[in-house]
Amino acid sequence: MATTALVELRDVTKAYQLGDESFRALDQVHLSIDAGDFVAVTGPSGSGKSTLANVIGGLDRPTHGQVVVAGEDLAGMGDGALSRFRIDRIGFVFQSFNLKADGTALENVMLPLVFARVRPKERRARAAACLELVGLKDRMGHRPSQLSGGQRQRVAIARALVTDPRLLIADEPTGNLDSARGEEVMDLLASLGQAGTTLLVITHDPTVASRAGRTIEVRDGKVLEAVR
Amino acid sequence: MRFADYVSLALRSLRRSRLRSALTIAAILVGATGITVMLTFVTSVKHYVISQFTDSGQDRQVQVAQTSDLSYRASGQVDGGGPGGGSGSAGQVVLGPTQEAAIAAISHVSGVAATSGSFGPGFEYLAFGGKQLSAQRLMGYEPNGVVRPSMVAGRSFGTADRSGVVLLSKDYATALGFGGDPARLVGQMVVLHTQAGYTGGGATLPNVLPPQRQCEQGQRNCFGGPTSGLPAIDIPARVIGIVSSEDQQGAIILPLPWLIDLSDQSQPKQVQYPQSFGNQPRPGQPAGEPVPRTGPPSGPGAVQGGWQRPAAAEFIAGSGGYGSFIVDVDDSANVPSVAATIDRLGLHTATGLAALAEQKHAADVIGLVLGALGLVALGIAALGITNTMVMSVLERTREIGVMRAVGARRSAIRRLFAFEAAMLGFFGGVIGVAIGYTITLVAAPLIRTAVKSGDIAGTSFSVPLWLVGVVVAGTTLIGFVSGLLPARRAARLDPIEALRYE
Repeated sequence: MATTALVELRDVTKAYQLGDESFRALDQVHLSIDAGDFVAVTGPSGSGKSTLANVIGGLDRPTHGQVVVAGEDLAGMGDGALSRFRIDRIGFVFQSFNLKADGTALENVMLPLVFARVRPKERRARAAACLELVGLKDRMGHRPSQLSGGQRQRVAIARALVTDPRLLIADEPTGNLDSARGEEVMDLLASLGQAGTTLLVITHDPTVASRAGRTIEVRDGKVLEAVR
Repeated sequence: MRFADYVSLALRSLRRSRLRSALTIAAILVGATGITVMLTFVTSVKHYVISQFTDSGQDRQVQVAQTSDLSYRASGQVDGGGPGGGSGSAGQVVLGPTQEAAIAAISHVSGVAATSGSFGPGFEYLAFGGKQLSAQRLMGYEPNGVVRPSMVAGRSFGTADRSGVVLLSKDYATALGFGGDPARLVGQMVVLHTQAGYTGGGATLPNVLPPQRQCEQGQRNCFGGPTSGLPAIDIPARVIGIVSSEDQQGAIILPLPWLIDLSDQSQPKQVQYPQSFGNQPRPGQPAGEPVPRTGPPSGPGAVQGGWQRPAAAEFIAGSGGYGSFIVDVDDSANVPSVAATIDRLGLHTATGLAALAEQKHAADVIGLVLGALGLVALGIAALGITNTMVMSVLERTREIGVMRAVGARRSAIRRLFAFEAAMLGFFGGVIGVAIGYTITLVAAPLIRTAVKSGDIAGTSFSVPLWLVGVVVAGTTLIGFVSGLLPARRAARLDPIEALRYE
């Protein structure tokens, strides 16, 4: 696969102050993810999986250390640059879909393009293309309440893909789905991975993790590479 | 984000919680409606008052009187200022032809008209078509166009109108049955019926004095003098115009020269009474023809038959002078200097300009008070907006997290919420102005009916365009400011916390 590292974490520590105690969600993490990789992140609840994903996705800042994604060092970025980085490079998929209930599938997928200042006409075309990609061409006008759980997550994936990101971060994408629907969603993600999208999937479901080409485990803020 | 996106996103979230948005907007529109209605009322009245002043040229006029308690009367210039019949206390200058000439000579003065003081021949009544109406309020002014009463029908005096013509106030027209169409009274002849003993213009005076009449108890204007035996006479006058009753109530207005002629009454040259009065001609005097007294007096101290008439000037001075002068100034900017010059003549002035400034000030104060009340209402509504937006931010915490995750910067979130709050204000303002406009449409006829005879009866109530702009812009701004705090909170949310929020 590709040899250039898309994500590079060097000595990253994320510490929280909980009362008197200092708690390290990430503890001196070194990690490198190559472009095109399909990486599963596993670990028990509270181990720091989500923090790792948020730090890589530019939603969270490390207390210490360097995060370089797609050649950009996130440490020195302000809110504007970091937001721009998220638009251009990252797509987020959440466990609970987080779709706007009063918007159609198409409108939900168009949302990132609103912040990306893309012209309305182009937004529509790109969102429609992404919905087609996730197999919801005939559901564009449906509201989330009119869609099944699997369909909702596919809308969310389309929303994450619409800005054509380098890295797709999915935090427990199958957590709210039954196994059949979860399988569908994982099939979709896997196909995206095959098409060249770098995937970072957080899960505690071994079946989901088994789909990934590489699995890393986070335990007490430390990253352990699982050997396959 | 584009402007249109802010609009559509804000509209969308307002629509999502319809009831709450509607209630918040309702609070704003109460204030906006109040301000619109109240300020429309005040500005319309003010505008009307100003236009009344400037249209009639009152802003270019100075009223002159001999007493200092003069106050400018916007609606009744013809009515003399002071009681002319005063004894002329020390330092008081009686208004006469000398003063009139002095005022006319002041630069920037374009015209002077004297108005009657306490002149009056003492008419018993005004008669027309079998009706007799009391004729107590006689007025006069020089027919030179300086005094311009507001006309309901017909015209005011021109320079040719020296005598034989009269202006009546509208209530006379109404009392005579012309209430619906006062114009029909214009051109009609009315009769001014004098009291007994009348010896003024138009009277036919006998060569021999009639027997003196005894004054009956309670009889008005009974002098019991040598002329009291003379009969009352009818003096015809053509109505050429009807003046507004708002300006003049129960007024009969005559050209000043005629009024003086009628008031300036002849006296018997030889005063020998009581014994010289009798039914029979006195010895040496033939029971001759009566001496007609018609037309203008034939000069100062004119003597007709056995009768003597004082000169007009003498009469004016004897009656305490003119009531007042109305002075036309070429430009309103010169009014203060002209007034000051007249003051230096020992006279007292009041200017329409000063009166107008007073009225303007009064209107501004009322407007300020009412506007402040409206602002209080808007202030409370602003708290409502803040409350609504705080709720909205709380409810949409996760959505804010998603927006941040997909790339919305803090400033975009802040603007989005501030924009939403501004839109609440905007809609409140727009609807408030619309309702306020409707209220003024409905209320205007009611107000006009209620103040039928007041100074503001002619006001046309219309919402001024600037007020529409100010109210809508103001409520929008209030909404925006009220939304700043919640918007700041929304923007400061940690996206991770926000996404986790249940």
